[in-house]
Amino acid sequence: MLTRRPPLRILIGYLLIPLALYVFAVFIPLITAAFYSMFEWKGGPNKTFTGIANYIALIQDKIFWLSFSHNLYLILLCVIGQVGVAFVFVMMINTRFVKLKSIHRTFGFFPSTIAAVYVGFIWLMIYDSRRGILNWFLELIGREDLTQVWLNNTDLVMTLVSIPLIWQYIGYYMLILLSATSSIDKEIFESAELDGANAFQRSIHIVLPMIKNTVIVCLVLCVSGNMKAFDNIYVMTAGGPGNNSMVLAMYGYKVSFAQQNMGYGSAISVGIFVLGLLVIGGMQLVSNKLSKD
Amino acid sequence: MAEKVYGMTTGRRVGNGVLTVVMNTIMIIFSLSCIFPLVWMFYSSLKVKREFNADIIGLPPNPTFENYAKILTNKDYHIADSLINSVRTTALSVALILLFGFVVGYILARVKFRGNRVIWIMLLMGMLIPVHSLLVPIYIVFNRTGMNNQWYTLLFPYIAFGMPIAVFLIHGYLKAVPVALEEAASIDGSSFSGTLFKIIMPICKPVMVTIAIIQTFACWNEFSFALVLLRDVGLHTVPLAMTQFTGQFSSDYPKIMSAMLITMAPIVVLYFGFSKNIIKGMVAGVVKG
Repeated sequence: MLTRRPPLRILIGYLLIPLALYVFAVFIPLITAAFYSMFEWKGGPNKTFTGIANYIALIQDKIFWLSFSHNLYLILLCVIGQVGVAFVFVMMINTRFVKLKSIHRTFGFFPSTIAAVYVGFIWLMIYDSRRGILNWFLELIGREDLTQVWLNNTDLVMTLVSIPLIWQYIGYYMLILLSATSSIDKEIFESAELDGANAFQRSIHIVLPMIKNTVIVCLVLCVSGNMKAFDNIYVMTAGGPGNNSMVLAMYGYKVSFAQQNMGYGSAISVGIFVLGLLVIGGMQLVSNKLSKD
Repeated sequence: MAEKVYGMTTGRRVGNGVLTVVMNTIMIIFSLSCIFPLVWMFYSSLKVKREFNADIIGLPPNPTFENYAKILTNKDYHIADSLINSVRTTALSVALILLFGFVVGYILARVKFRGNRVIWIMLLMGMLIPVHSLLVPIYIVFNRTGMNNQWYTLLFPYIAFGMPIAVFLIHGYLKAVPVALEEAASIDGSSFSGTLFKIIMPICKPVMVTIAIIQTFACWNEFSFALVLLRDVGLHTVPLAMTQFTGQFSSDYPKIMSAMLITMAPIVVLYFGFSKNIIKGMVAGVVKG
């Protein structure tokens, strides 16, 4: 801290614009959402005060809770598929056997730098039933019986829209974990190698505790990132078929803009806010507990 | 030393040989899968629709840049417009995030005043708020104030969402910078603002670069707020223009691929030109933030 404080007007001059902008874009909308969530409002000039009716509807709204369960499913798949797989890759890259390390870094990180919308388009082209690579490949290996209109499969669709997300971020978490292991003495990896068969298991027992805090950061990022899944689902399925790939942000968007139901859409936004804070807050609590041990 | 010992244990050589092949194969497949879409899209974009539909994986029989020429010259596609919009929005947002983040971060780190903690908590809340709960309400507020659908509209959410992380990174960085430096400058007659921009800002360059990298990618790739806040196609940023474009030409894959590659080009060139620094910056932002 400075011992001589600058004049107050200078302080205000510096802080006013950034903070006003911040309040306008973050806090005013939050208050607005809380306000409009108590109205029946289709976006036009007329609105009717309905109290907590929207919230009662929200609690009973099966699609809302279905969307939430899809977010949770996405989180589960991504924790395993992104952070889990990234950890395995890091263990492999750290051995002396794996070559081309810098190529794996540069290429692996690349997908995480492009827009989720683009990733969605790319995978749309992969899943396409007539011109898609997936069906082309199945035909190539003689399993034509397995080809199908992938994104119309109501049982699989949620998993299919998760795969692009997983693929996009494996390299991202791989690089974060790699930076954490870079400070570990290389001899630890090598002594584990010399032991042969259970080398992998041993390195997990030795390495995992050493990078625990970074792993927790990755898990928190992964959970909060998937609570806001929207972009790639918007371009791939828009929540369909039916509501089989609906997630919270997509549902809020659909009700508010496609159905022009702004009042209920505001209530959903408040619902997303509360559920998001609960999940992320719960995650923080668990991670604080873990990192203390 | 360790390698010599290792080479002598002949019994394990075969097992290690298998392990080497398996691990390298897995990693190479992964790396190729990350880069394959880019390569596939590039050579497929040199086909015409008919050629692509006949063979989706083969190399183009008669490579042509026809698709690129059409996209760049046809004003109705708004691809060139969207590139300009994205460059402008990203550049202005990142510049202002850096300026605001630096000033606010510095003041919170160095100046004792009554609002200090309140501002800190406000920014922390901004980090924890699930941003997608703001999607609908921000539309309502911007619609009411007539600020939606303008060239500057997106600057507001982008700066607001980027500021907290910038403030925290600057704040954390300044912990390692001794206050004595500013005290000395002050004794030499340097004003608060003079010290701030002439002495502290150059010191913060590494962390400013980190912030700039993270926010450039975040702003360039942002989609959902652009989707609800912009209506005119002439104002669309790149991801938004692409959703329009693919809707229009959903069966013409080579054309879609060409448009995707054109609009990805700035970010791809940036990435492969400076991948080491970019990865370092992104990872530093996560680990320290």
